[in-house]
Amino acid sequence: MAELIHDLKNSNHHARINVKLVSEVGVGTVAAGVAKAKADVILVSGYDGGTGASPRSSIQHAGAPWELGLAETNQTLLLNDLRSRVILETDGQLKTGRDVVIACLLGAEEFGFATAPLITLGCLMMRVCHKNTCPVGIATQDPRLREKFAGGADAVVNFMNFVAEEIRETMAKLGFRTINEMVGRVDKLELRKAINHWKAKGLDYSGILYRPDVDPEVGTYCQMKQDHLLDRSLDNREILKQALPAIESGIPVSIDLQVINTDRVVGTMTGAEISRKHGPDGLPEDTVRINLAGSAGQSLGAFCPQGMTFTVTGDTNDYLGKGLSGGKIIVRPPEDSPFVAHENIIAGNVCFYGATAGQAFVSGVVGERFCVRNSGVHAVVEGLGDHGCEYMTGGLVLCLGKTGRNFGAGMSGGVAYIYDEAGDFVSTKLNTEMVKTYPLVECDDKEIDEVKSLISRHVEYTHSPRGTELLNDWRLAAEKFVKIMPEDYERVLFALKKAEDRGLEGDAAIQAAFEENVAAGH
Amino acid sequence: MGKPTGFLEHERQSIPDRSPLERIKDWKEIHEPFNEDKVRQQGSRCMDCGTPYCHTGMTLANMASGCPINNLIPEWNDLVYQGKWRDALDRLHKTNNFPEFTGRVCPAPCEGSCVLGVIEPPVTIKSIECSIIDKGFAEGWVTPQPPASRSGKKVAVVGSGPAGMAAADQLNKAGHSVTVYERADRIGGLLLYGIPNMKLEKEIVQRRVDLMAAEGIKFIVSTEIGKDLPTKSLLEDFDSVVLCCGATKPRDLPIEGRDLKGVHYAMEFLTINTQGLLELKDVSAFETAAKSKDVVVIGGGDTGTDCVGTSVRHGCKSITQLEIMPRPPEERADDNPWPEWPKVYKMDYGQEEAKEVFGEDPRNYLTMTKKFLGDDRGNLKGVTICDIEWKMEDGRYSPVEVQGSEREIPAQAAFLAMGFLGPEDTIAEELGLERDSRSNVQAEYGRFSTNIEGVFAAGDMRRGQSLVVWAINEGRAAARECDRYLMGETSLP
Ligand SMILES: Cc1cc2nc3c(=O)[nH]c(=O)nc-3n(C[C@H](O)[C@H](O)[C@H](O)COP(=O)(O)OP(=O)(O)OC[C@H]3O[C@@H](n4cnc5c(N)ncnc54)[C@H](O)[C@@H]3O)c2cc1C
Ligand code: SF4
Ligand code: SF4
Repeated sequence: MAELIHDLKNSNHHARINVKLVSEVGVGTVAAGVAKAKADVILVSGYDGGTGASPRSSIQHAGAPWELGLAETNQTLLLNDLRSRVILETDGQLKTGRDVVIACLLGAEEFGFATAPLITLGCLMMRVCHKNTCPVGIATQDPRLREKFAGGADAVVNFMNFVAEEIRETMAKLGFRTINEMVGRVDKLELRKAINHWKAKGLDYSGILYRPDVDPEVGTYCQMKQDHLLDRSLDNREILKQALPAIESGIPVSIDLQVINTDRVVGTMTGAEISRKHGPDGLPEDTVRINLAGSAGQSLGAFCPQGMTFTVTGDTNDYLGKGLSGGKIIVRPPEDSPFVAHENIIAGNVCFYGATAGQAFVSGVVGERFCVRNSGVHAVVEGLGDHGCEYMTGGLVLCLGKTGRNFGAGMSGGVAYIYDEAGDFVSTKLNTEMVKTYPLVECDDKEIDEVKSLISRHVEYTHSPRGTELLNDWRLAAEKFVKIMPEDYERVLFALKKAEDRGLEGDAAIQAAFEENVAAGH
Repeated sequence: MGKPTGFLEHERQSIPDRSPLERIKDWKEIHEPFNEDKVRQQGSRCMDCGTPYCHTGMTLANMASGCPINNLIPEWNDLVYQGKWRDALDRLHKTNNFPEFTGRVCPAPCEGSCVLGVIEPPVTIKSIECSIIDKGFAEGWVTPQPPASRSGKKVAVVGSGPAGMAAADQLNKAGHSVTVYERADRIGGLLLYGIPNMKLEKEIVQRRVDLMAAEGIKFIVSTEIGKDLPTKSLLEDFDSVVLCCGATKPRDLPIEGRDLKGVHYAMEFLTINTQGLLELKDVSAFETAAKSKDVVVIGGGDTGTDCVGTSVRHGCKSITQLEIMPRPPEERADDNPWPEWPKVYKMDYGQEEAKEVFGEDPRNYLTMTKKFLGDDRGNLKGVTICDIEWKMEDGRYSPVEVQGSEREIPAQAAFLAMGFLGPEDTIAEELGLERDSRSNVQAEYGRFSTNIEGVFAAGDMRRGQSLVVWAINEGRAAARECDRYLMGETSLP
C-alpha cells in the first residue's frame, strides 16, 4: 500500500492519493495503517451502492453501512493522533444535505455522491451498465444510444446546489459556521425512535456515538499534509535537472547515473513533467536517455511516456515499468557478468503491470505475474515466472525461455510468443481456458518475420547471447515457437478486418465488429 | 432477458387494425388476427429493466402510471420472445383474471410508463398481453379450474362488471360459494353494455362467464338488488357481501332544450345498440337513432369515442364531437414528464373512422354547449355552441365564453358522454352505507370494508368512474380482504 501510494504520488504530485476502504468491522485499524502509508484521503465506502453492473448480492451484502465504518475510523484515527493528517471521506447512497451533515458529525469532511447525480443526469437504474445497451446513453459506447442522452451538467449543478442549501440550513440550526468545526461532533447527534420494531430492542448505539477522550492538541480534522519524501528521490536530486532541456524544448539529453535499490520510482516524476508539458504523446523516441548502472529500486520507469528510454545495466526490483505509457525500458546484465542471462533473474515480480504502451527488452528472467493487465506494451524477455500475461488485454509478449505455470489465465487480448524448447509449455504451463495456440511456423510469413525482427532488436539493445543464438539458427528455432492467442480477441480482430475490407474505418469499423459479435450472440 | 439489443433492432409494431373504411361495415373487432412471429419479435424489444416502471401501478398526477394490477410484464415479454407461450399464460393469469378484456380495452398505462418510452416508442405490452391469452384460448389451455375444496362460506357479489367478476373469480378460487347478482339480462357490466362490440366482442365476455360458471360460480341475472330483492336479505343469506355496482349515474347537461326528442345519454344509445346486436344479430332496427342524421357527441372521452364509432357504423350524415378541454399537445408537455400518463393528442378508433368518412377529426376543442334547439314538434334540430377560454378565477380555472363565438350547428341527435357522477343511491341508503365527498361508497383502498360489517365495496362504485384494469385490481383486492374477514387469514394475492 505504501509503495502504491508513493508510486502514484510520484506520477502526479499535485494529486491527492485517495484510498478507498469498505466500511466493515475493523476498518478503523486498516485506516490507521493507510494513514501511516501516507494516503492523503481515506474514503470509507458504505454498502448499498455500486454500479448497475454489480450483482444485487454485492450491492446489498458487501460491506456495512457507512455510518458504522466511518464512526470507527474516525475514533481510531483520533486515538492514534492520525486524524489531523488525513482527510476522511465517506460515500454510499448519500442523497441529501441531512445525510452530509450526519456524515460530518460522525467524522467525515468530504462526501461522495454518485447515484443521485447520475439520476439527475437521466439514469433510469436499468442495471445494464455492463451490457452497452444503456437506453439513456450514459453507460454505453454505442453511438446510437449516446445520441439519446438528454441530461446535462446543469442538472447536476442544480441538484448539488439544493444539497448545499440544505446543509447550510442544518448547520445554521446546529450553530456551526464551518464544516471543520462540525467534523466528529457526535454529541450533536441524538437517537430517535423512528420504527417500533421488536428487533430495535437490542440495539446499542453508544459505540457509534462515542467520542474518544483525547488530548486537546490532537487535531480532529485534517490540518496538515502528509510528507511523501519526494525531495529525496533520484528525479528531484538529479534527473529533472539534467532533463530540463528536453522537458522545456525537446532537446535530446543523455543522463548517466548510478542507482541503488533505495531509489524507488526512478524517472516517474520526470515522465510526469513531460506529459504535463507535451501531452499524452510525449516526446520523440529516445529524447531523454537515462542510463543507470547498479540495482534499481521498485517501480523503475513507472507510468513513463514516449520519449524516455531507460537502459539499466544491472538489475531491477518489482513493478518495473508499472503502468508504462509509451516509454522504452532496456535491462541487461553487465558485460562482465558471469551468469547465463536466460537462466537467471534480472527483474522482480509484477513487471509492466497495467502498462498501456511502450517497449521493453529484458535480457534475463523476470519474476511472477509478468505483464498482468498489460494492454499495449511490446515486451521481450528471456524467461518468466508463474501467472504470466494474466488478464492481459492487449500488447505483445515474446519470451525466449521458460515460463512458469498458469500462463495466460484470463487473457482476453494481445498476443504472446513463447520459445518452447522443452516442448511442454502447452501441456504443463498454459492455462487454456481462454486462449488458443498455434505453432509459429504455421502463421503467415509476415508474422514470422515480425517475431524475428523483434528478436533482432532485442539483441541490438541488450547484446543477448540467447537472442543471438536463436537468430543464428532461425530455421530450427522458429519451429519451437508457440503463438498464444485469446479466442474472443481473435474473433473480434477477424470481424474488424472484415469491416475494414468493406471500407469502414476507425470507430465505424469497431462498431461494425462489435455488432457482428453481438449478433452472433457473444 | 433473451435479447439485450432487441429494442435497437426492431421498431414498435402493435397488432394492426383493419382499415377504417373496411371495419365500419361491420360490428366485429377492429383488430386483425395477430401474427405469432411478429409478437415474439416485439417481445424482444423489452429491456428487462432494472427498475421496470411498466408494472408499478402508481398513481402520478391523479393518473395511473404502470399496470394497476402489477402484471409481470418483463417476465412474459421474455417468455413470449422465447416462444414459451404456455409459461407466459401462467405468469399472466397470476395477476390478471381477464387478460382478454384488458388486452383489448385497457388504455395501457403500462406503455405510458414503459422505460423504453423515454427514448423510443414503448414496448407493445397490451398487444403482447392480448396475444398470450388469445393463443391460450386457441390452444385450449384455458379450462375450468374449480377449487379443490369448499370453505362452506357463502358470498354474494352484487354487480357483474369487471370488479364483480374479478372478486367472484378470486373468492371462488379460495373455495367460497359465490353468487353474483346482476340487474341486466346478461353478465358483464360495462364490458357488455358499455364498451361496444368492435372494441370487445361480446362472445369473449360470455366465454369467460361460461368458464366461471363451470368453476362453480352462480350467476343470477335480471335481479336488481334493492328492488327485486331487499339488500338486507343478502346480509342474512350470505356470510359476506361484495358490492360492485359501478358508477352508473350519468352527468347531465341541464340546459335549455334538454328534453327535446333526440337528446340522449350516451349509455342509452350504446346499451340499446349492443342489446340489438345480441338479440337480433342485426341492428338495423336501432340505426334510426343516428342514421342519416347530423350527430353531436358531447364529451371527448372514451364513451364519446364509442358514440362516434357507433354513429359512423349507423351511417350518420355528419358527426361532431364537442370537448371543453384544449387539444392536447403532440408530445409530452414539460409538466407531464415520463413516467406519468402521457397527455398527448391521440386518434382513437372512432375518430380515425370519422376522419376517413368525413375528412376530418370530429373533435372540436375548447367548445361549450349552450342550448339545444328544437323544431315545433319537439324534435332536436340544432345545438348552440361557443368557444371558451380557461381563465383563472378565485384560484380556480373556469371556462369563459369567447365573445362573438356563439354559433349554431345542425343536429338531429345528441349524445351526452360527459362522465358519471357516482353510484346509485338505493343500496347505499337501504344499508346505511357511508359515502365520500364525491358520493362514492366509503371504503378505504386496501381494506375495501364499508361501515357495515361483512360488506365490502370495490370498483367504480368505490373509486368513481375509472378503468377496467382498476376494477380488476379492486375486485381482486376486495376478495382478498373478504377472504381474510371470513377465514381470519388469506392466501389470496
Ligand atoms: C362507454 C364506456 C366505454 C368505456 N371504455 C373503457 C375502455 O375502453 N377501457 C377501460 O379500461 N375502461 C373503459 N370504461 C370504463 C370501465 O368500463 C369501467 O371503469 C368498469 O367497467 C367499471 O367496472 P365495475 O365492475 O366497477 O362497474 P360496472 O362495469 O359499471 O358494473 C356494474 C354492474 O353492476 C350492476 N348493478 C348496479 N346496481 C345494481 C343492483 N342494484 N343490483 C344488481 N346489479 C346492479 C350494473 O348493471 C352493472 O352491470 C368505459 C366506460 C364506458 C361507460
Ligand atoms: S392490464 Fe392494462 S396496464 Fe396492465 S399490462 Fe395490460 S394493458 Fe398494460
Ligand atoms: S418498462 Fe418497458 S422495457 Fe422495461 S421491463 Fe417494462 S416493458 Fe420492458
